[in-house]
Amino acid sequence: MSADQTVIGCGQYSRDDLELAALARADAEVPVPAGVGEHIESCPVCRAIVERFAADNAFLGEFVQVARSRESSRSGSRAEARAEAIAAETHLSPIAGYRLGDEIHRGGQGAVYRAEQLATRRTCAVKMLLRGRFASDRELVRFEREVEVVARMRHPSIVTLYESGVSREGEPWFAMELVDGERLDVAVRARHAGPRDIARLVKQVAEAVAYAHRRGVIHRDLKPGNILVDKDGVPRVLDFGLARADEEGDAAGNQISPSAGATRAGEFLGTFAYAAPEQLAGDPNSIDTRCDLYALGVVLYECLAGRKPFEGARSIAELVEQKTHSAPERPSARNSAVDRDLDVIALRLLAADPARRYDTADALVEDLARYLDGRPILAREDSVAYVVGKTLRRHWLLSSTAAVLLVTIVASGVALAVAYSRAERERARSERTLQGFREALGSANPESGKGSADISVDRFLDLIEENASNALKDEPSVLAGVLDTIGIVHLGFDDAKRAEPALRRALDERRELFNAGGCTALELAESLHNMGRLLILKNDLPAAETAYREALVIRERDLGGDHQLALLTGRHLASCLRRQQRIDEALAMYDALFRRASALPDYPPEEFAALRNGRAFIYFQANQLDLALAEFTGALEAVRRATGTDDDYRVGRTLFSIARVEDRLGRRDDALAHATAAQEILRKRKGGDAATVVDIDKLVAKLREQSKQ
Amino acid sequence: MDLDRTTTALLAGLFDPRNAAAWEAFDLRYRPILVGFARNCGLKDNDANEIAQETIVRFVEEYRAGKYDRTRGRLGAWLVTIARYRMLDVKRRAGTARIARGDSAMVDLDDERSVSAAYEAERRQGLLREALEELRTKSRVDPKTVKAFEMLVYHSLSPAVVAEQLGISTHDVYLAKSRVAAKLREIVLRLESEYEETPGEWDAAGARPSDGLRA
Repeated sequence: MSADQTVIGCGQYSRDDLELAALARADAEVPVPAGVGEHIESCPVCRAIVERFAADNAFLGEFVQVARSRESSRSGSRAEARAEAIAAETHLSPIAGYRLGDEIHRGGQGAVYRAEQLATRRTCAVKMLLRGRFASDRELVRFEREVEVVARMRHPSIVTLYESGVSREGEPWFAMELVDGERLDVAVRARHAGPRDIARLVKQVAEAVAYAHRRGVIHRDLKPGNILVDKDGVPRVLDFGLARADEEGDAAGNQISPSAGATRAGEFLGTFAYAAPEQLAGDPNSIDTRCDLYALGVVLYECLAGRKPFEGARSIAELVEQKTHSAPERPSARNSAVDRDLDVIALRLLAADPARRYDTADALVEDLARYLDGRPILAREDSVAYVVGKTLRRHWLLSSTAAVLLVTIVASGVALAVAYSRAERERARSERTLQGFREALGSANPESGKGSADISVDRFLDLIEENASNALKDEPSVLAGVLDTIGIVHLGFDDAKRAEPALRRALDERRELFNAGGCTALELAESLHNMGRLLILKNDLPAAETAYREALVIRERDLGGDHQLALLTGRHLASCLRRQQRIDEALAMYDALFRRASALPDYPPEEFAALRNGRAFIYFQANQLDLALAEFTGALEAVRRATGTDDDYRVGRTLFSIARVEDRLGRRDDALAHATAAQEILRKRKGGDAATVVDIDKLVAKLREQSKQ
Repeated sequence: MDLDRTTTALLAGLFDPRNAAAWEAFDLRYRPILVGFARNCGLKDNDANEIAQETIVRFVEEYRAGKYDRTRGRLGAWLVTIARYRMLDVKRRAGTARIARGDSAMVDLDDERSVSAAYEAERRQGLLREALEELRTKSRVDPKTVKAFEMLVYHSLSPAVVAEQLGISTHDVYLAKSRVAAKLREIVLRLESEYEETPGEWDAAGARPSDGLRA
């Protein structure tokens, strides 16, 4: 180690020498380099420097005392002293309570460090996430509550999450068990695992998944990289329930440049392989436990066959096409050691229609156990052909128009516009919008970037946005439609941060076009309505109100007050008024909407339900509990009628609303019954409702406690 | 100096019971000092917290009732007076058992000068802590510079070791120390002016002599 030989002062001595001379003033044990002492006496320049250094040392010394004073000033026990030491040490660490060690892994989402939890002295892993991923404090709170739920899980095959927090720099982090192991696919290859070993490993993973599903937690991002096989050969699943936040962060943390396009597409292809078709549709309400089953199917298939079920696609479009419309080759065609039963289990998991997969992860565990015990499995083979046929038939019309199912689903906003507007001009424009999506998809060539991991729907949308911006430069009206649709998909994920730029661009574009006669007032109204939704999400209620009012004027003028789109904007506006505590105005508006809607023969039952639900909230807010109860009950009936099932998140949420009103009314038994029912539905169906589930859990716990007393 | 953060501004804000921000800022500034102070006077953690709580509440009551006049004495001296009576109270209530613990403390509650000195020491420490916190979180000092300073000063590592660990030159380590010292001086100076408790700045009436306030 070389000392600092930089010459300072009058030029005769180095910085090191003068620093030592300064230290020697406070500490007699510090040796002064030969000659320096005398030199300082005679050289005012160097003397001034040494004095400044000494003053700095004395001043900084005061801070050392700050850190140590508490220990010395109190004759506390050793435990106390240790606690103080931890407190002092914590002060120095970016994360309270942990000492960070080496970096284990760094990715687009942040970095994972080896760490020590100071209070327990246990070694763990700390994942630091990028702050940019969370658009608002609200999202951060939601993330923390999800962590709270996940942290309660204890299972031998789930990597335990300890806690989460926010670092001094404002980055969210979570601490988890440190697992020394290999990725599942690597482990399978390294150990030359046979089909039975693979079945055993996947069964253990499925048990972990089943355990999580029973607690309302959906993984959403199962893949070999998230499953580590530890030294004892036990698979351990990572990052349960956090995929959503990760996706957002990934996309927010990385800007996509045009040159990176191809690689990104390749990465996307990687995630595509594990994502269920309905997951790719971008509708958060369609994501349920069966997405995880699909992903497990891909994992099982890949381990057995040595390749992913769908490979060789030249573009994303082609991959999506394959995935939705064709059944993969049997694993046994690639690996003759695989027997029929495993073929059937894997293909059953890969069914495009979620209803044709196993109902639950437990059912998968059961079938794998049967296979391992040599008993007959329960899955039936013909289901695959059935599913593929059915899916093909169902999507035939859309496929023939737009060629790619995904495109049509992502563009569902456009599809709606086609349905609502009969004008040929509109239809042509919408189809060109679809074409814009298709070209954007087709131009992404995955071949150059195959094999890398993680990309999300978010990034996929970015890709479309970027490609569309280039490809549709000369078609601003089509581009506006594409941007609007991208914004809507982000809104569907409650992702205001990512929706905002697309929706703002779309609105600006359409305003300009409208002024120049390049688009209709109704198109402008559509963008205004979407802007209202965005602003509601951002809780900028006055601005949302302005946007909705403008949209409403146009829709009522051009479509008539009884048109569904006018009623829809009206309902949003009423909800916006309610949120601003303008109870009377909102109530009057809901009543008017209700009257109009009742007179329409084909008014959609979902919309009816939403109207009643909105009105119920007003009564609830105004503390008119009996009326609120009646309205919520009406809304519940309407939702059940509309969806034809009890197994819908809206049913669950409405039941929870009813329970809350009953709780306030003191009708504890009813409240408990409804809350329990809501608990059941939301836990099973929606991991994304984890925060609501926590609220329900709290209500149920409170009610149980009260009924005991 | 951030004028909204001066003790004068906080006190002005405290007059309005609805001004939660002023209340919080005041509490945030003085509670930790009072807790540490009470501990140094030999109180257990629970009692220390309680004393801090009571002292702050009592002070604000008196202040709103117009009993505290800044021209008549330092805020710190006022707080010390309130806290000292409370602590004597606790000890009296606890009887002899508690006093035994009190004996091991550094501060003799019957000696006003020593009590004031303990408060002043705690106040200065609180201020230094705040300065450190600001250095780490709000100042634009490069994290590596801060790290070098911490390793050098806190952990008493030699400049050569610090340089090697951080992959910088020894000269950079020294520079880091100088920079941090300069920055901390600047912060401490500003915080002191915000606290407005620099000895000698106050009208002497009712205040303790300034030379007795240093630990």
